[in-house]
Amino acid sequence: MAMMVLDVDPKADSGFPCWNPVRRRFAPESPFFESGNIERELLAKQIALDLGEEEKHQLWRLLDEDCKDLFCPIVGCRARLTSLENFENHYNSQHAAACSVCYKVYPTSRLLSIHISEAHDSFFQAKVARGYPMYECLVEGCGLKFKSYKSRQRHLVDKHNFPSSYDFFKNKASHHPSKKAREKKIHRKQAATTDRREETEEEEEGTTSQKMDVEGEASVDSLTSALSNLTTGSTPSSVSFGRRNPRGLTFVPRSVHQRNTKKPEDSTPPP
Amino acid sequence: MSTMAEDGFASHKRDPVKSSVGGVASQKRRQHAVAVRKERRESLVRAKRLCRVGSSGDDADTPLNNAMMVDEEESVLDAQAAAAVEELKSAVANQGKGAMQKVVGALRELRRVLSRTEFPPIEAALEAGAMPLLVHCLAFGSPDEQLLEAAWCLTNIAAGKPEETKALVPALPLLIAHLGEKSSSPVAEQCAWALGNVAGEGEELRNVLLSQGVLLPLARMMLPSKGSTVRTAAWALSNLIKGPDPKAATNLIRVDGILDAITRHLRKADEELATEVAWITVYLSALSNLATAMLVKSNVHELLLHRLATSTSLQLLIPLLRSLGNLVAGDSQTTSAIFMPGQEITGKCDNKYNIIGVLTKCLKSEHRVLKKEAAWVLSNVAAGSVEHKQLIYKSEAVIPLLLHLLSTAAFDVRKEVAYTIGNLCVAAASEQDSGRLSLILDHLVFLVEKGCLPGFIDLIRSADTEAAKLGLQFMEMVLRGMPNGEGPKLVEREDGIEAMERFQFHENEDLRNMANGLVDRYFGEDYGLDR
Repeated sequence: MAMMVLDVDPKADSGFPCWNPVRRRFAPESPFFESGNIERELLAKQIALDLGEEEKHQLWRLLDEDCKDLFCPIVGCRARLTSLENFENHYNSQHAAACSVCYKVYPTSRLLSIHISEAHDSFFQAKVARGYPMYECLVEGCGLKFKSYKSRQRHLVDKHNFPSSYDFFKNKASHHPSKKAREKKIHRKQAATTDRREETEEEEEGTTSQKMDVEGEASVDSLTSALSNLTTGSTPSSVSFGRRNPRGLTFVPRSVHQRNTKKPEDSTPPP
Repeated sequence: MSTMAEDGFASHKRDPVKSSVGGVASQKRRQHAVAVRKERRESLVRAKRLCRVGSSGDDADTPLNNAMMVDEEESVLDAQAAAAVEELKSAVANQGKGAMQKVVGALRELRRVLSRTEFPPIEAALEAGAMPLLVHCLAFGSPDEQLLEAAWCLTNIAAGKPEETKALVPALPLLIAHLGEKSSSPVAEQCAWALGNVAGEGEELRNVLLSQGVLLPLARMMLPSKGSTVRTAAWALSNLIKGPDPKAATNLIRVDGILDAITRHLRKADEELATEVAWITVYLSALSNLATAMLVKSNVHELLLHRLATSTSLQLLIPLLRSLGNLVAGDSQTTSAIFMPGQEITGKCDNKYNIIGVLTKCLKSEHRVLKKEAAWVLSNVAAGSVEHKQLIYKSEAVIPLLLHLLSTAAFDVRKEVAYTIGNLCVAAASEQDSGRLSLILDHLVFLVEKGCLPGFIDLIRSADTEAAKLGLQFMEMVLRGMPNGEGPKLVEREDGIEAMERFQFHENEDLRNMANGLVDRYFGEDYGLDR
């Protein structure tokens, strides 16, 4: 029976560690076997101690928590996780701040607001062009500002030991514009000079455009309250976005202009 | 927000002085309760076992079951323990008529105090000076009743905390001596029990016991076909050989008649005895190459498979499955011996007695441990030759089951299932030349079409590094291998890109590079343009 097989030499492929099917062996005292060992002892004592099922469940829950040394792996978070299942909730409530313009997701509202300024704010770009140091250091509390993206990046690597792969505001392929956006981008590239700003995204046609209308008419109140949350630097838990709903209620500073204002379903009503 | 309950409280007058005093006492109670609960948890998962009912069962004393003891009850027991030790002391010192009966009587009383509850007053007994007395009572030539009661007391002392178990050190040579064939069966059994508890404490004590020559007499106790003594001896041996030093395991398999006894018990013994023997094979197969070779030569894997297929006792299934898993995870020689070509591969795939059938049964179990370890074994089978992968792939029952578990089971089960599914999709070109990997497109396409992708993307999102890496590696196979460039579209549809983008802010550099690399390569600027 013929089976299609694709021959690949994993090392040649840009260093990605491809899946390698190997047998895995564990020593008897390995943590892998811990739950089985515990179950053994509980079962052995169960009858003698009249251990009910409910009690066993409680016991398991406590034992699971006891040996949990799990911390959130997002840089700078260090929150202790009570369980692996809870990580998703934690992530969605603390690390899923999404940009309404280009749908990029950031782990803190501070980084999101920095992104919005740097990528979607013409006012910001104007100041940069005039030589003001506008690019903030990403480390909270550092306070330094730089005149270019590159010099900020250098600062992060030199002074804060960021590895050079920490390119937070990376332009290429950091999000997936729709096919239409890509087509437009190629077209625009041919016409204009390149700049560092992220392209704004075309709305996807169809039913989603109606959603945008409703959300576009967000009340001024909620926008300003969201905005004030931004400036105080607290993590606004009320303004949290599930990753499944990138077009949810978002805060957009008034100075943001959509690049392509042709479509009527833009999210920001003019001030 | 005012509730009915709050309204009710409003009418109570609070005496500030009283409430603070009450606060301290109740806080102390709470702290004590927490400490007891923790101690209970620890004692429940220890590899030591209290003896609360005699093997002859003639004692009228029914043990109490109060897991949460209050301060007062504890101090009552402590006092009783101290009193019993005092009695014993004077009985031992007494040389007159009926001295022996007095000693036995005092021992019995101490034993009762030490067997009454889940947390015997061990510390109080030791502090009152029980140990030298008990050692004295183990002297050669003592009457059986005396030896039995003394060994029983020692058993329960050894079931306690580490420092309490260590207190038995002066008694060890005597306990070992009474394992001999000249001892009466109940005495030997009770001594084996005490020694099993000591062995369960830790490596240090295990080494002490082994150097004192415990292995041979204990192993001999396993040779008869039945009886509670055989079971206790088997349990004690499992504690003794669990390592991490493989020497004890290797020495055990060398004992004359042991291999035969092991296979005999696995084949015929009742489930309780078979359970303890199965734990012995767990440690033998995990630690000793010699033992593994000898077990496989005796076709122990067939016994394991048969028992796994027919038993429903979780206690037995766990060590059987793990022994099988250890054998499958071993070197290739062992593994190919287990998979005898004629039988396994050309025979019916869903035969319930073959390895796939047995693992399917365990995967269907409601018990998390069984599912997890069965998936682990299956993943190792899937890591074998292409024929082995086909064995799994062609099984009608297993594939849907794996897919179902990947999306619904507990995390640790899902991880093992992911290993299995991924291993099915790729083959090492040859055992020696593991640098070359080939995707098995048939399997990959089928499994992806059956909807395994979301499960892997879920793993990418997990906080567990190993799981995230697995998810990314599977993603890479899909992106690279799915025909007609379908991979990226499929991944996008399942929110795979978002999941990978999370890694930009992940603290693990390897994962970051892996994820960024995939996004760059497959979702770069040209993505979406080519139809």
